[in-house]
Amino acid sequence: MARMALLVSPELCIGCRGCQSACKEWNGLPAVKTVNRGTFENPPDLTGADYNRIRFMEVPSAQDAQRWLFVSQRCMHCGDAACMKICPSSGALFRAKNGAVVFDKGKCIGCKLCGSACPYGLIRFDQANKVSKCHLCHDRTEAGLTPACVKTCPSGALKYGDRDKLAAEASAAGYSNLYGEADLGGTGVLYAFKDSPKVYGMLQNPAFPAEVHFWSGIKSLAYLGLGATVAASALHYLVIGPHKEEGEEVKKDE
Amino acid sequence: MTNHWIDFRNADVILVMGANPAENHPIAMKWIARARERGAKLVVVDPRFTKTASKADLYAPIRPGTDIAFLGGLINYILQKGLYFREYVVNYTNASYLVNPEFKGPGQLEGLFSGYNEKARQYDKKTWSFQMDEAAGVPRKDPSLRDPHSVFQLMKQQYSRYSLERVSAITGTPADKLAAVYQAYASTGRPGRAGTELYAMGWTQHTVGTQNIRAMSIIQLLLGNVGIAGGGINALRGESNVQGSTDHGLLFNSLPGYLSVPTASMADLAAYNDKNTPKSKDAKSVNWWSNKPKYMVSYLKAIYGAHAKKENDFCYAWLPKLDEGMNASWLMIFDNMIKGRYEGFFAWGQNPACSGANSNKVRKGLAKLEWMVNVNLFDNETGSFWRGPGVNPADIQTEVFLLPACSSVEKEGSITNSGRLAQWRRKAIEPIGQSRPDAEIMNELYFRVKGLYRKEGGKSPAPILELAWDYGAPGPDGKIEKVDISRVAMEINGYYLEDVWDKKAVPPKQLGKKGALCASFVTLQADGSTSCGNWIYSQSYTQKDGKAVNMMARRSKEDPTGLGLFAGWAWAWPVNRRILYNRAGVDPNGSPWDPKRAVIKWEALAIDKVTGKPGLWKGDVPDGPAPPLAAKGGKYPFIMKPDGMGAIFGPGLVDGPFPEHYEPLESPLQANPMSAKVRINPAARMFYTAQGGLPEDVFANADPRFPIVGTTYRVTEHWQTGVLTRHLPWQMELQPQQFVELSTELAGQKDIKSGDKVTVSSARGKVWAVAIVTERFRPVMVMGKVVHQVGLPWCYGWQYPTDGSGGDSSNLLTPTIGDANTLIPETKAFMVNVQKA
Amino acid sequence: MSRMVKKAGAFEIVNHWMLAGSCLVLALSGFAFVFHLDGVAALFGGFPPMRAWHNISGVVFAVSLFLTVFSYLPVSLSFSADDMKWLSMGGGYLSRNKKELPPQDKLNTGQKLYYLVLLGMGAVMSASGFTIWLLGNKGLVLLSYFAHNLFFVFFMVAIPVHIYLGTFANPGTLRIMLSGKVPLDWARRRYGKWVSRMGLG
Repeated sequence: MARMALLVSPELCIGCRGCQSACKEWNGLPAVKTVNRGTFENPPDLTGADYNRIRFMEVPSAQDAQRWLFVSQRCMHCGDAACMKICPSSGALFRAKNGAVVFDKGKCIGCKLCGSACPYGLIRFDQANKVSKCHLCHDRTEAGLTPACVKTCPSGALKYGDRDKLAAEASAAGYSNLYGEADLGGTGVLYAFKDSPKVYGMLQNPAFPAEVHFWSGIKSLAYLGLGATVAASALHYLVIGPHKEEGEEVKKDE
Repeated sequence: MTNHWIDFRNADVILVMGANPAENHPIAMKWIARARERGAKLVVVDPRFTKTASKADLYAPIRPGTDIAFLGGLINYILQKGLYFREYVVNYTNASYLVNPEFKGPGQLEGLFSGYNEKARQYDKKTWSFQMDEAAGVPRKDPSLRDPHSVFQLMKQQYSRYSLERVSAITGTPADKLAAVYQAYASTGRPGRAGTELYAMGWTQHTVGTQNIRAMSIIQLLLGNVGIAGGGINALRGESNVQGSTDHGLLFNSLPGYLSVPTASMADLAAYNDKNTPKSKDAKSVNWWSNKPKYMVSYLKAIYGAHAKKENDFCYAWLPKLDEGMNASWLMIFDNMIKGRYEGFFAWGQNPACSGANSNKVRKGLAKLEWMVNVNLFDNETGSFWRGPGVNPADIQTEVFLLPACSSVEKEGSITNSGRLAQWRRKAIEPIGQSRPDAEIMNELYFRVKGLYRKEGGKSPAPILELAWDYGAPGPDGKIEKVDISRVAMEINGYYLEDVWDKKAVPPKQLGKKGALCASFVTLQADGSTSCGNWIYSQSYTQKDGKAVNMMARRSKEDPTGLGLFAGWAWAWPVNRRILYNRAGVDPNGSPWDPKRAVIKWEALAIDKVTGKPGLWKGDVPDGPAPPLAAKGGKYPFIMKPDGMGAIFGPGLVDGPFPEHYEPLESPLQANPMSAKVRINPAARMFYTAQGGLPEDVFANADPRFPIVGTTYRVTEHWQTGVLTRHLPWQMELQPQQFVELSTELAGQKDIKSGDKVTVSSARGKVWAVAIVTERFRPVMVMGKVVHQVGLPWCYGWQYPTDGSGGDSSNLLTPTIGDANTLIPETKAFMVNVQKA
Repeated sequence: MSRMVKKAGAFEIVNHWMLAGSCLVLALSGFAFVFHLDGVAALFGGFPPMRAWHNISGVVFAVSLFLTVFSYLPVSLSFSADDMKWLSMGGGYLSRNKKELPPQDKLNTGQKLYYLVLLGMGAVMSASGFTIWLLGNKGLVLLSYFAHNLFFVFFMVAIPVHIYLGTFANPGTLRIMLSGKVPLDWARRRYGKWVSRMGLG
């Protein structure tokens, strides 16, 4: 399967948040108790029960007193996913055929390392500390459907499809900034912007964590170290032999 | 709507004023986005920089309640700059008609039209008439539009007073923004340019609500925007089926299909028909309402069945009658209730304790009832009014019943959207618990009431005992055991009760066979040979090859016109016409003004299969089959008007034939800047006068205690008063609490920060709310003074969530006054104060 | 047959095996975590239970390691000229020709150094492990993650060295950690200073 992507176009988003409700419904996620904090935006952050949310931003505008921006936020589904690299459990985070970074709570050990490794800080956990984040509706996409948020989006602000095609369409429609196109091996969630991503509060220069990168490069040293030491010990035993004084006997029954 | 949702994509300029579709009609934004991709301009005029404004190419702020000033300025702009579509205006509107020379407008009468009776707050409309050509029996015209008594010149005169500067001073819209909006919208006056207007309760819920829409109608007629793709005047309805319920007689003064409810003076059917059937002597006018007697008789046949006979006036006498001048609309119901005039009350699918303007009055009114039946999905603030804030249950004698209704997905039926599209929906799941579909509850109620009448008698039992109620198989006790909703739909469509013939045709042609479902309202008769529950829905459930066909259940996705008409998807009234007045979208020869977006098109040489004669309309279902105006037998386009013309001069309304700016009941101004002597709509009914009134009905104009303009609105996450959505934790997560939006300037003055709890109060009540301090709400300059504005949603109520964290309805603040024509409450402009709680 | 002397007490022995056991569990599960070894994880009942094993073993390891301080730290920190000599002779491990080594205390020089290194590595391992487990600070967690992994590699070297030296390389040594008793002669030869200090003759 070609790599698929979710294209977010905040220019088309009307902040209706059908995506948030649809996500909760499809994934059977519980509600989070919130208060009004002096904004339409809620919940205040992604949670293990909120795989996506719309960030509401009021920014200065040349034409009016302000612009009101609505920016979908969720796991970016990195092509080179630090979360997958750091995950100690086999199969807890895996790459789906469509390129999404998907989780298996049954295999998640709840160590939350992925949360620390995520360059965007977008991974959240459920009450049992298991990874709980956008999976681009793995169950739906596997069955040939679009993610629930995309299905619900009334304005076309969320689109799901062939990553290259979506990128080309966005460029053709005049979106000069395709955020995520080249970052981290290319993200599976792309943002079509006409202005700088900074205006939309996007992370500048997301970077793969050096610690994870470096360790991945040297982790085979563990095998090497173990193997070499065992081998050296054996060699020592054969070549130099045990530390035995003359006349000393070793009896098993001692 | 004259047009339909998908049609927004065909517009070149979309004016959103009095609506916020991005918040309240999200799907609309899909089509607006498609239009913008084509290069269309979205223009938003709103007191607040809304979600819709965030998508706009041009945004202009406005003070609530000054839309007519804004639109009057646009009319003036169009006329002064000659940007109107002259051929359209001359041929298709009454602009050329000559008005009674005694008619005088607000420019001459200091804000009033001629014929005003101050004491009665009413107009005598005698002078609001046309000069008649006695011989032909049609109005006199001046196609040059120069006669000083012509509608055109009178209009020009009245709106010459709406200069850019004056309008800006009234509305608070900066002059440059005003000019930019005018320029953008007036650009659609050329053929090949389409402008549409989307409005909702932001226009209707004013003392001048009807005139707001009239003002826009005038603009659309001047620009030739009615009857074309991407044009029209489009009401975005406040509920998914409010169009359907209005069509089916929701309003106190209309029977299904907008037939007037008879009044006491209309003693018999002949008197009713005489009073309600418009006449025209103009051969080119279709005057469709001349068919009204057919629809009325067919309606009587539908509801009284075999009992309705010619001999007994089709049981016309059984219909309830209004007293002369009686108004039974929303505000009056609760005014009567608080005055102790009602014994009982059915709150069916509604929550007036939160949705009703001046909710405190409503809540007090409920306490005057002996009994109340609350039919709803959940208990709500209405059903629980007796334990509401400040109420001691021991003081309340009202007995309250809750009948659990099921939701729309638990039943089958039709729903009619704003675009008049009736769509059939199937049941998704069985009703939960003891809940039942509304029809089943009504069925139960009907047979119980009928049984009581049968047993105990009573005043006038016949209309109940003999009501046609044939919606399913009766059980042993005669009661229908299960309502078959399709049979209701079929009754609405109508049946041929006899073989029906077109006797005028040579040779006579059979229109319908006895027992069959009616083909359309064109075949309805006034002699009792047809029945039809709602004439405009005739054709929604027809018959093909002896089988019933539910047209509303159709699901074809074909769109041969490419305009998004989708004629095979469900069914739109009337007769599946998707764009109303489409004959105005073509020139007098039948060629579309805009060939690229032809809704209909006359093909003079094509052979009409039905008549066998040349001449055929292609495209949408035309407004009548007659040839175009210039052809032999041609007709005027506005077939629902007696004279066939678009009404620039509209004498039908009670408050003036042209819209005029009046201030809201509560405004920051002492006087109306347009006319010092007449502050508010002079024909609006006053509940509180200089002589006094109920303390609940007080208002405070230009009162230093309430210096801030308030308005109300909705949020995407909640439905109406939130009865359905406040019980959904997911929705509460998104919008948990009552809030008030206010400007950074006002917040600074009051030392309020975003997230602070504040109290918003009016002369009638107060609510707490969380402050959202934002640049999106700006103070406006009105008559040289800074006026602050705030807005609150009305979707919260004290009863749920039970911890009270949601807040209470902002309708506790709104006043008791309504539009002069419809009495729809003025909840979109009132005066408040805001204080840190 | 030489007289047996008590080289290690019960506390010392039990603690050693707690440390050794937890260390092996940690190493094994750690290996499975690093290299996603499903077969190894299956021994623990899968990855999630394996994490519990790893964490609990981590606690045991940390506590045990701390308790070793009482047994070994003072002696490990006392160095003399004999230690330098021992070191210069490579502890006698470098040649088949065994020469007389300088007398050693309870721990010989190599054991002392090994202990200090082990104590340091174990401390880093414990601290980083607990940071990953219990702290949410992203920067600290990533740093700890790196340290934990890096020292895991060191442990992969240290563990077999210790096992080899405690068994094959030094026959008879294992007895110290089993019964705690060794023949006096054996002890005198290898831990002469200790035998003298303890007044065992």
